[in-house]
Amino acid sequence: VASQGEPRPEGADEDASLVRALRSGDEGAFATLIDRYSATMLRVARGYVATQEAAEDVVQETWLGVLRGLDTFEERSTLKTWLFRILVNRARTRGEREARTRPFSALSGADAEPVVDPDRFEASGRWAGFWSTPPSSHSMPEQRILAREAGALLIAAIEHLPPSQQIVISLRDVQGLDSNEVCEMLDISEGNQRVLLHRARGKVRAALEGYIDARELS
Amino acid sequence: MIMQPSVRCEEFVADVTNWMEGALDADQRSLIEEHLSICPDCVRYVDQLRAALTVLRAASEPAPGPLRDALLAALRESRG
Repeated sequence: VASQGEPRPEGADEDASLVRALRSGDEGAFATLIDRYSATMLRVARGYVATQEAAEDVVQETWLGVLRGLDTFEERSTLKTWLFRILVNRARTRGEREARTRPFSALSGADAEPVVDPDRFEASGRWAGFWSTPPSSHSMPEQRILAREAGALLIAAIEHLPPSQQIVISLRDVQGLDSNEVCEMLDISEGNQRVLLHRARGKVRAALEGYIDARELS
Repeated sequence: MIMQPSVRCEEFVADVTNWMEGALDADQRSLIEEHLSICPDCVRYVDQLRAALTVLRAASEPAPGPLRDALLAALRESRG
């Protein structure tokens, strides 16, 4: 989970070989990259612009920009970082043209809610603040963690988050970008990023807990 | 008399991302880790959080079909 200490970002070598394939016009390489990143790109863009159609335009323009810029891409950053930087810049510009409020202009009220229902902790007495209803004790087997069903459920949970949280968790935890890259890309402080990530991860964990419990009961 | 941990579970949960992100100073970190060493419920909380992150990294979301088709057509066009 920690974002520090990785000599090469995850997937970077594979991306580099896909870039080489793409430079030689390999359609399969392009399709792989489109499938790997476009759903996240749409979700991030949608946080900045007014409609799904506008978000699709931004994603399409970004990929076309990547195709045009491939020959000058010097691989100082990973393809993924480069791609999401272009995307955020385009989405931000489009959002400004639409006079939309930026997703990070202020932390909204929803961002201030606790990540676990306060009723799950003792309210008073000597043990106030300790769990009264602790996290589910059911464990989750590895094969279930990797199940398509669990992935779809947690992605759906992300889609119910406020836009600023959706953007941060999508870049950090779905795509695995590191903290510094994301702060720079989104032009937010590390502190603000952590607050948004904390809220978002809390809700995704709650969704997983609900899923584990439902599977145990069924 | 049972000794209470110096960090309560509610405080642990509030600080868990700062801890996972390496954003706590040494004193705060050792208090959080001390809590974790004696609280199986908070260990489960962290385990679920980590499992959720593993699920997200493994989740596959293919691109919407029409967007994919339009982009592949653009690639073909760019190659002439």
